[in-house]
Amino acid sequence: MTIDGSETGPPPDHVVGWIEDSISYFPAIFDDPYEGGDFSGDSWWDQSQSLEQLINSSFSTPVAAAAASVAPNPADSVVSDRPLSLDLSKKRKLTPDGSSPKTARKSASRRGHEAGAEVAAGPRKSAVNKKGGKSGGNGGGSNGNSKEGRWAEQLLNPCAAAITGRNPSRVQHFLYVLHDLASLNGDANHRLAHHGLQAITHHLAGGAAAGSFSSSPGNTFASSNPRFFSNSLIKFNDINPWFRIPNNVANTSILQILGEQHQPTNLHILDIGVSHGLQWPTLLEELTRRAGGPPSLVRLTVVPPPPTDDESRNATPFSHAPHNYDFTSKLLTFAKDMNVNLQINKIDSSHLQNLNSQAINSTRDETLIVCAQFRLHNLSHSAPDDRTEFLRVLRRLQPKGVILSENNTDCSCNTCGDFTTAFSRRVDYLWRFLDSTSAAYKGRESDERRMIEAEAAKVLVNVGEMNERKEKWCERMKNAGFKGEVLGEETVDGARALLRKYDSNWEIRADEKDGCVGLWWKGQPVSFCSLWKMDVRVKECLT
Amino acid sequence: MAMVMDLGFPSFDYSTTTTSSTTTMTASSTDEGSNWNAWSPVVDWEALFGDQEDFQNLIDSMMDENVVLHPIDQLHEEEEEEKEYNNLSREYHMAAAAAAEDSKGLRLIHLLTAAAEAVAGPNECRGLARVILVRLKELVSPTDGTNMERLAAYFTDALQALLDAAGGGKQPHGGVGVEHHRTDMLAAFQLLQDMSPYVKFGHFTANQAILEAVAHDRRVHIVDYDIMEGIQWAPLMQALVSRKDGPPAPHLRITAVSRSGTGRRSFGTIQETGRRLANFAASIGQPFSFHQCRLDADETFRPSSLKLVRGEALVVNCMLHLLHFSHRTPDSIASFLSGARTLNPRLITLVEEEMVPQRDGGFVDRFMDLLHHFSTIYDSLEAGFPMQWRARALVERVFLGPRIMGSLVRMYRAQETGEGGSWEKWLGAVGFRPVSISFANHCQAKLLLGLYNDGYRVGEWELTTNKLVLGWKLRRLLSASIWTSQDCDL
Repeated sequence: MTIDGSETGPPPDHVVGWIEDSISYFPAIFDDPYEGGDFSGDSWWDQSQSLEQLINSSFSTPVAAAAASVAPNPADSVVSDRPLSLDLSKKRKLTPDGSSPKTARKSASRRGHEAGAEVAAGPRKSAVNKKGGKSGGNGGGSNGNSKEGRWAEQLLNPCAAAITGRNPSRVQHFLYVLHDLASLNGDANHRLAHHGLQAITHHLAGGAAAGSFSSSPGNTFASSNPRFFSNSLIKFNDINPWFRIPNNVANTSILQILGEQHQPTNLHILDIGVSHGLQWPTLLEELTRRAGGPPSLVRLTVVPPPPTDDESRNATPFSHAPHNYDFTSKLLTFAKDMNVNLQINKIDSSHLQNLNSQAINSTRDETLIVCAQFRLHNLSHSAPDDRTEFLRVLRRLQPKGVILSENNTDCSCNTCGDFTTAFSRRVDYLWRFLDSTSAAYKGRESDERRMIEAEAAKVLVNVGEMNERKEKWCERMKNAGFKGEVLGEETVDGARALLRKYDSNWEIRADEKDGCVGLWWKGQPVSFCSLWKMDVRVKECLT
Repeated sequence: MAMVMDLGFPSFDYSTTTTSSTTTMTASSTDEGSNWNAWSPVVDWEALFGDQEDFQNLIDSMMDENVVLHPIDQLHEEEEEEKEYNNLSREYHMAAAAAAEDSKGLRLIHLLTAAAEAVAGPNECRGLARVILVRLKELVSPTDGTNMERLAAYFTDALQALLDAAGGGKQPHGGVGVEHHRTDMLAAFQLLQDMSPYVKFGHFTANQAILEAVAHDRRVHIVDYDIMEGIQWAPLMQALVSRKDGPPAPHLRITAVSRSGTGRRSFGTIQETGRRLANFAASIGQPFSFHQCRLDADETFRPSSLKLVRGEALVVNCMLHLLHFSHRTPDSIASFLSGARTLNPRLITLVEEEMVPQRDGGFVDRFMDLLHHFSTIYDSLEAGFPMQWRARALVERVFLGPRIMGSLVRMYRAQETGEGGSWEKWLGAVGFRPVSISFANHCQAKLLLGLYNDGYRVGEWELTTNKLVLGWKLRRLLSASIWTSQDCDL
């Protein structure tokens, strides 16, 4: 409308009449001081104000505005239909710089591609293989492996993809979100988010150069109090079969091999494992129950992991006990009580490859059994192939049996895939651990649980996570001059019986083809146990 | 003219804006493949990430937990360890400290967009969406906190509705979730008018264009697509009866387009509106008559149902989707506008929200645009009523919350239907001719804005002369454009 001072505002009566029947009361909000104005039905309907009146009246006092609208004020003519004196150049200035919020439209399609890749890189959907009959009182839920149930990976994996794709703002985005959802308490997803976030931060900070990685400082195996450490691990083995089943399978296999010997011999076990001695009391007990009693001498040669800093990236999860932890005296006392003649040696070898018969002081007449659990995947598998080399070293020891237990998963090293791939595999592994642990502790928080999980979380940054699938391990063993043995029915049945005390999402799958025993969580493979003997046809390996 | 100057009009010199650095950054960061940058007014991500060599170090310093969550603490540390940080990093820490308050806002934006992505992105994951929404609900409330926090609360609710619907529940309504009390609506509407030129800008600009177009006519017929309470027309009547140089007040006929049985969020029926307008016209001596033109059940407009009188100057008025308006389907609008074209009107006035141009991108990109748009509205409202948080909360609850819900639901659906776009462009495309906005009209808009906060801007924004844009700082809120279907230029 024209701004024209001569116009007359409507009498207030009309304004009131306009809406008086519309308003029955005003809400409590108007008890508040409303710009000092007396807010009432008379004032709100100011649509009939002309602009000029709006200008005359203070914006902040609607009542005054309404009142002012009554009085004509010809002197206030401001803008007519044909203003003449305004500089047109000013008008041009009004046109802004066109900086409309067209932000980053280009990114749309790119993001689409990226997201597509994320889908591909995401965790495989897998049918949940639930054991019938027994229903587990766990917090896992039957859809624990579905994408919906594993949301932390939906942030961690795209974040890793963004790092690989060098998209810092996308990385930043995920870090923000992870920060808000990560927690050391709560369900496995929150915990995974926490550990994943720490690992990504660690990675972005330049990895080892930046020093330590720790999800919760002072809370991994190596930095714990020895007593707390062993108590926690015993408790863990009691509620989660992650190590307990491989230990059990190993012990039964040792007994099996021992039983196959034609004459009674001394038993020599080469312990390359992560059981920290906890595996052996059961074996000693079993040995006393054998027909004919225990061997006259049981030798245990422990191969400790190569020394590293407590929190080093080279620290294989679960392998490093606290510095002053020593199970030997306790185990010796136990053996004495059991009437078993036990001898324990610790090898001070920094590298597994340096092992030989002299180093372990083995003799021809004893039954040497190698028990390798969750340690060998730390050996480089290509350029240089330390792994094959070490298996050949084992072959040269001429053991009567080799028990190999390993993670049944793909490699996470730098040469086997980009950061995205490697990281998602690590995360996948840790998910299974945290998910099963969540069920094991029945969702309860404890320092023990925190330590165990923090130790497992090392897998996210450990440079030595060079896992291989079971098939690949078997191939390597064969190439090194071993032949696979089918794990005895007794062994499998024993493991199955033992597993019954654990969460029902666990299962044991015996592979008839290769004779291995697999431990599965919610329909996905976690680890495998295998038994090997020397393939006598392979001559070149004999020294 | 002296009067105008004395009123202390805001400077329209855009070169003096203080946020220019942000804009530059935004523009240049498109190559980075990210639009998160646009969200960070203080932290200069571009500087952080521009130099790829420093990538690791920068992320390192950035990802220090203290920086993200406790920028202030980090600043103290910085004073002691200043030498250890490089320049970029130091700038970041300074900015981070200044952004102490903004950091939560930034967090919220990241959470919201992540939730949107989880709800409807290419890699959707409802489990993730659920967790993020739970977290958001812990962090925000619609009635408490900063603009961003309150806004985030409404977006959280809207996303939750989408999620619930996607989970096999009921389809969320595109419109209103909660029916508000009539008095709340009245009060909120009044507050909205006082807080912001949002309502008046459109009405005044359209009315001025109408007055200019019918300056010499004896009979004027306005067909109003969405008359609501009719508040646009009282000032027009006043202006008509007080025309000094022209002929006596022309006869004004208003035909309100009405729809059958839709639950419109109006606080009166069209009949009531007509009665009020008639009363008002009578009170000021404006010859007036009022009619209704009912749309078909499917909201189709039939031009033949309109009663036309020879010699009338026909004006079509189309106020679309203003904050207090209810939603109209694109089909209905298209039907009305193309029907209107067959009537050969003297003038078409169109006022619509200025959303960021529709992107080709997916739901998440458009979600961010929507978030951005509403944050602009929130900011502008806050500047209008800085102290009256309860007043703002009412406006937000009554108008903005439902609007956010509706927009998001439609956006979600539009993934299939492709709904959206500017009607102004559509008008041009179907053959309406632009009519230049008069200088007087332009000045009037500037005068109007002078009554409100300095942050409001009015401009032509694009190279069109038939459109005025109401902006808040550097962002656009609303545009008014005028058109004709007749050959003679006005």
